[in-house]
Amino acid sequence: MDQQLLEINHQAVLNTATKHLAREVLPARNTFGGSFPATDIRSQISEAWRFPIIERHGSTPPDPSDAGLNRVTFVTRDRDFGMPEQVSVIGSFAPLYQRFPLQPVLFQGQPTGFRACSLLVPTEQVHVYRYVVDGSLRTDPINPQERSLENGRRWSLFFTEGCSQLITFQPWEARLMARLTEYILPFRTGDGEQFLNNHVNFLDKQTAENRFPFAYKLDNSVGAVNYIDKILSREERHHRVNYQLCLRIIDRLLRQRNSFVEPHLMSRDTYRELYAQMLSGADGDVPGWPYNEFGRPRFFMELLRRHTYTGAFSHPKYGGNAGAAGWEFLASRYPFDWRAALEPPLGRNADYRG
Amino acid sequence: MIANNFDAIVIGSGAGGAPIAQRLTLAGKSVLVIEKGPLLQPQYLSANGLSDFKRDELFATGPEKRIGISGVANQGQAYFSSHVEPDLNDEPHVYQERDGRDFATLEGYTAQVIGGGTQLYGAVHLRFTPTDLRLGSFNEGRTDLRADPNGDVRREARDWAITYEELEPYYCQVEALVGINGTSENQLKSFSEDHLQQPLTPNPISEYARKGMVVQGQRYQSQGKIVSPYRTPLAVITEDHAPSNRKVPTERNSIRTSYVNRYGDALGLKSSTWVSLLAPVADRPNLTLWTNCIVTLLRHNGDRISEIVFRDPGGQEQILPVKPGAVVAVACSAIESVRLLELSAREDSAFSTRINPNDLLGRYFLTHCFGGAETPVLGNPTRFPPLQFDKSASLDSDWAIDYSSSEDFLREFGLWAGAAIYNNTSDQALPLSLARTHGSQDIDTIWQTFDAGFWSTANPNVPASARSRTLHGQGMLDFFRENFGTRLSVSFMANQVPLPSNRILLHPTVVDKWKRPVAWIQKDWHSHDRYLMDVLANQCREILKVGDANPNQDEIESGGIYMAGNARARIANHILGGARFGRQRNDSVLDPNCRAWDFDNLYVTDGSFMPTSGGANPTHTIEANAFRVADHLLSRL
Repeated sequence: MDQQLLEINHQAVLNTATKHLAREVLPARNTFGGSFPATDIRSQISEAWRFPIIERHGSTPPDPSDAGLNRVTFVTRDRDFGMPEQVSVIGSFAPLYQRFPLQPVLFQGQPTGFRACSLLVPTEQVHVYRYVVDGSLRTDPINPQERSLENGRRWSLFFTEGCSQLITFQPWEARLMARLTEYILPFRTGDGEQFLNNHVNFLDKQTAENRFPFAYKLDNSVGAVNYIDKILSREERHHRVNYQLCLRIIDRLLRQRNSFVEPHLMSRDTYRELYAQMLSGADGDVPGWPYNEFGRPRFFMELLRRHTYTGAFSHPKYGGNAGAAGWEFLASRYPFDWRAALEPPLGRNADYRG
Repeated sequence: MIANNFDAIVIGSGAGGAPIAQRLTLAGKSVLVIEKGPLLQPQYLSANGLSDFKRDELFATGPEKRIGISGVANQGQAYFSSHVEPDLNDEPHVYQERDGRDFATLEGYTAQVIGGGTQLYGAVHLRFTPTDLRLGSFNEGRTDLRADPNGDVRREARDWAITYEELEPYYCQVEALVGINGTSENQLKSFSEDHLQQPLTPNPISEYARKGMVVQGQRYQSQGKIVSPYRTPLAVITEDHAPSNRKVPTERNSIRTSYVNRYGDALGLKSSTWVSLLAPVADRPNLTLWTNCIVTLLRHNGDRISEIVFRDPGGQEQILPVKPGAVVAVACSAIESVRLLELSAREDSAFSTRINPNDLLGRYFLTHCFGGAETPVLGNPTRFPPLQFDKSASLDSDWAIDYSSSEDFLREFGLWAGAAIYNNTSDQALPLSLARTHGSQDIDTIWQTFDAGFWSTANPNVPASARSRTLHGQGMLDFFRENFGTRLSVSFMANQVPLPSNRILLHPTVVDKWKRPVAWIQKDWHSHDRYLMDVLANQCREILKVGDANPNQDEIESGGIYMAGNARARIANHILGGARFGRQRNDSVLDPNCRAWDFDNLYVTDGSFMPTSGGANPTHTIEANAFRVADHLLSRL
């Protein structure tokens, strides 16, 4: 399918580009503790993860097919490419021979030094792309997300809303994360299981799917692992290293404690004990933890808790809270009519479109 | 250099700028508004039918970022901010602690976006009282002021350059043009007209605040009547609003949502200065709007501002000449306006002589003495777990009361100035905001609680020693049971004693993303401020107690902001003063019309003009004053 190139909304591009990209060159303030080298453009701009700009697509009057589409806007700064003549983008969202030219972004009819193009891309997808700058292929100097393809070449990467493909975690990490997150959230308590029994399990299959189409996700910590996988690729990429280190340590530690069972199959009590140890004392007091490799297991536990909670109770478009199962769990126990405020089909507000 | 024919150039589109731009535009003047932030649209103004603001907690509070500014004591600290707040690393405000260490911070509700802070505000739209505008006279000769050993309060208290009676017609105009719901009856301020729209049904949890206010108010009288609570004026329309062409949803309950305080309103029902004042005139040919442009310098020719230097959206420096006879209104919010004037003065000694002849520019920086009390609602007799309410179906506040502004109250407690007291209904209504702010005294940038790992309980049977619990599994369930939809707070907003030592300077080393020195804030609380906050926090606690929210007052958390661990460096929700107006040239930066004394065409119209910070949230007064200045400008343009 040929991609649809949308007309650039100059105002909308500047609404994001000016704040985050327009600036003098300063000592790097956004290295995130060394995640990016100080000389990297991404250390010098603000919130590099916002690019390319991924937004919900809409039309007036509303078109039901809009729901499955994101507007993806690629933005470059001429100064990052030595003031080029032409910049275009190619990517897996279209045949690779198809180039989409980036147009100068204007203010009062004059070029601003930014270029942009906007495409419609389906939601729940992952794509790679590169810029063609006066004939040369370049990765995006702004977007920190990159992936090496089989031929070893680096491509820039983005994913659209609601994406559930793993980007950051290896499969074994995701399995371990599923166990680490599921007992942070309350869905494995007696009350949580009662929610499932009362609201889902006693219903016939069709009714259950109609009323709680994503309730099965409660068994997967309402998609919190997927949310964390995504936020570590983009917004909180600086915490990737903490997860890489600590998941490796936890995997090793659990194997030391029980060499007969795979860590992701170990008992609930094993994980409870681990939580308690990681949260005890100022930095965590975990027997066998290699403090010379990572000095503060408590820090990691608190980070994991914040991410897990956020994933469970933020908007489902971020990859967690699948089908709003986290909100629904709260609504089943407390007065919380979350649907009243939110857009259909998730919510029932007739005025707000999301 | 850009050619132009603008009669007025307004820098900033928030509460101090938009009223001027709107009024001059309607009068046929050629007006340019320069706004640093983006043009974000609510749904009904959006070309694709989708709002640039979202009912989305993560969108509004943002992911974790890290302070990367070398030389500040909180370098490396995590912070969380919304998509329209300034990037702390790009444009920090630096506060100096008592020990001399500097901390980078940003103020709550400061927004770089069309409409400024009115896009994020909770929309509490209270008038100041007549006494708020005459605190110099009110305190003259008083011998009953407490916690003022050196007589600072009497020495520094000032009357405003205008009276309440002079400002009152403009309050009425704001209430008509901006779009506000609430009630005027029972307020200790006279209303010559009543344009307030009908408030929505209050959230049931607020009844515990109302009951307490009724009991506390009975002790005080005004004009022979017992002081009673009233519905808090909120700048959210509840009826169709003709002046701004806004319509409310057919389903009125749709208006009642907690996605308002600290959110840009996706439906545009919250009356930001964009949807209420500017958008209705934005299509007129005599109004020009440049967003994503930052003004970096003002230049002058004698007593005229003659050039405005700004960065266009691509970051290129541009110069905009100011035509003879045109006026310039600076309204970038108090700290940034003072900083712009100080930066301009730094470039040019003659500019400095004109704007700061008596070393007052940047001095008398003010925020509010604020604080309050909070508790899970246990009822009377108490029950546990606490009563639960759907707080997500509510706006920011339902009830307010003015007894703490009455003269009897001020004399009873030896206070120099009064306060508004109101309940906060929508605080912590949603799961992320609940977790992020629970137990925190800083609601704005830090995910305090999760880092601290401290969880209290309202259960009176649980000893204090057992109250730190883990937040996972059953612990998280317990947390929800005790805190989700259970918590009610009552707040006060009061004047801070103006002190010359509280000031805005340019930082000697820290620069913004344009390599300009950032604002450097030196500020502390006076002993009378602390005393006043103690008195008012106790009042808020008493309201919750006698209102049966929690009969055990020891279980009610209360306090003033001065008690916070980062009280000096912490986020100030209302930034005011620094370029105060007055009737005497040697005691003020601006004249009674908010014109810089020694410039003919330079006006400053955000909250920096205030000589005292008022006993209420300031937006209403900033807007009213801006309309007043606009009328003055029309008389000369």
